[in-house]
Amino acid sequence: MTRVFVFTNHKGGVGKSTSATNTALGIAGMLRRAGASNSRVLLIDTDSQAHATLVTTGTKDYGTDDSLYTVLMADRQNAAQTLLNCIVPSTWDADLHILPASPMLEGAERELMGIAGAPYRLADPLSRILNRYAAIVIDTRPSFSLMTEMGLIAATDAIVPVEPRYLETVGLMSVIGKINDIREGWRQPNLRVSGILVTKMNTRIRGHNHLLDELKGHSVLGKLLLGVVPANEAVSYAHQNHQSIFNYDPKASASKAYAQFVGKLVQRIAKGGA
Amino acid sequence: MPPKNQTQRIDELLGGVTEELLLGNPQQFEDNSIRVERLLLEMVRPDPVQPRRVLPEQLHFAFHSNRLTPTQALKELVQLVQVAARQRGRPFNNVLELLPNPDDEGDEDQSVHLSPEEQLLHDLVNLAITIRDDGQVNPLTVVDVSQGVTQQFRIETGERRYWATWLLRDFIAGYNSDGMIPCIIIPAERSSVFRQAKENTARSGLSAIAMARQSALLVLTVHGYEIPPHAVSNDFYRQALDLDLRGKREYTDTILTAMGGIEKAQFSRIKSLLKLSDEAMELADRHNIEEFRLRYVVTVSAEYHAEILRQIIDFNLTAKQVKELCEGNDLQTDEEDSIEKLPPAAMKMAKVTQVVSTLTAQDLAKALMLQEADPAIARARLQALRKLIMETEQFLMSE
Repeated sequence: MTRVFVFTNHKGGVGKSTSATNTALGIAGMLRRAGASNSRVLLIDTDSQAHATLVTTGTKDYGTDDSLYTVLMADRQNAAQTLLNCIVPSTWDADLHILPASPMLEGAERELMGIAGAPYRLADPLSRILNRYAAIVIDTRPSFSLMTEMGLIAATDAIVPVEPRYLETVGLMSVIGKINDIREGWRQPNLRVSGILVTKMNTRIRGHNHLLDELKGHSVLGKLLLGVVPANEAVSYAHQNHQSIFNYDPKASASKAYAQFVGKLVQRIAKGGA
Repeated sequence: MPPKNQTQRIDELLGGVTEELLLGNPQQFEDNSIRVERLLLEMVRPDPVQPRRVLPEQLHFAFHSNRLTPTQALKELVQLVQVAARQRGRPFNNVLELLPNPDDEGDEDQSVHLSPEEQLLHDLVNLAITIRDDGQVNPLTVVDVSQGVTQQFRIETGERRYWATWLLRDFIAGYNSDGMIPCIIIPAERSSVFRQAKENTARSGLSAIAMARQSALLVLTVHGYEIPPHAVSNDFYRQALDLDLRGKREYTDTILTAMGGIEKAQFSRIKSLLKLSDEAMELADRHNIEEFRLRYVVTVSAEYHAEILRQIIDFNLTAKQVKELCEGNDLQTDEEDSIEKLPPAAMKMAKVTQVVSTLTAQDLAKALMLQEADPAIARARLQALRKLIMETEQFLMSE
């Protein structure tokens, strides 16, 4: 079964889009390198800010007829075909495909509110094209909105990027609680919290080291820790140039950390298990 | 697309990690086996150059040139059949009415001769109902022809099941599936016209014209012609008429095997059916006329092909009758028509006029009596002859 990784945290600025985009590219590249027969990866941007769309396609001029908004508004019968029609190639890599976001998504939440089956409007068509991709990565918006719920319902693996700060770590617990609510309440047994990715780690800050140590020492969270990405200005410059961190500076510490993290995800894809 | 050196940089960076993290077991990704998957119906398309055609010619071209969606093509087909059925006095509104009503008593329906279009739709509806009730047991065989973000699969076998599924989805109530269709996916590099030919000829029901198209595809392929990815006219297949297997002896056995193990002479006869006019090909294909009845038609001028085909269909002519029709009357020359079409008896009478001076009245009277054995009838024959001679004389004078 194709793994669907959703990057979610209701706290903004923790590196969801950066992690989602670089992870999607990393998986495609690593699978190709491993000689996989299918190394295509689909990145779905559900954030109306469309930052992931902008950096991976070079534009965010997507609207009512060529974006995720179009898919969500399509007839149920035509939704899968609409989804296929809206997917665009990334400028980063031939095997990376993007389902772009649009500012219209803000309105979509209001339009869909109260419509029966609205939370499944992404999961349903996505399930019909799932096997065409080796993996799917979903970037969510920094809130627990309908759009984020749609992303979680469509996913198999939730990855929580978190900054090593006290309040962010507190927020982590509520994110995990929310994901569990969706798994139980929406009857999504395939969804699970698969990992925590610590971002913007600065070893010179004592508080960061302390929280990371606590996380590692935690009986449950410690096992979920999949990677630690150091704070690195190469990430900002990569965004500015609409490039991945791997392309912008392959030797940067953040690049290496993301590569390690992607490797662990690819290992899971290969094993097909937890 | 990113520059190639950028991709290389990613590969270099990630390459080291892969070997380390995949625990030296990257083979688990190298899955090149043929697999069965459920594909979205919209991602699957029939092969435009498939020799076996399901839709009538006109719809075939409209569909493959993207002027019609699958639903629109089926709608056109249903309308076409409705007209044909109404002309035969059995109109219908719903496609399900094409199937016999199990509540009706008697076998009246079984004796009804359906037109090819009616038969086609009838078969599709039948198949659709089977799929609805029992599911799609037999997967389609498709070739992965996806490029970039455009994901598409070309049908190698199972076009009827494809159309039946569309029919079920959009024209028949009770379809509860999710719009997916089970398919055996063949990697593009494993696909070939030889493989397709074997698949086709292994199944029954390939018409003589479809076999002719099939032979053309094989011959064109071994001569290095590129098979286009779009619908082609019969002229494309007719290029094979100028080609043979003399210079390609190494392929002869492969081609004959792919055609179902036929003899070389039979292969030539099948290929020569491409000489038929477009209209005749369409008629022969639609009515599934056999090669042994068509082989004589190609010997006459192309302008007569369609008319002869209509006679074959309307009067269900045997091969012998077709042969007589094509050879007895020289349809290739218009100028000699008036002479060639004369009744043989007239020709004999004309010959008799050349030897009339050698006969006596007594000889003729004896011969007439020998033939008719009745003087009254013999006199009646002579009177009829006299009348004919007088009219002939008048005709010649007016000429």
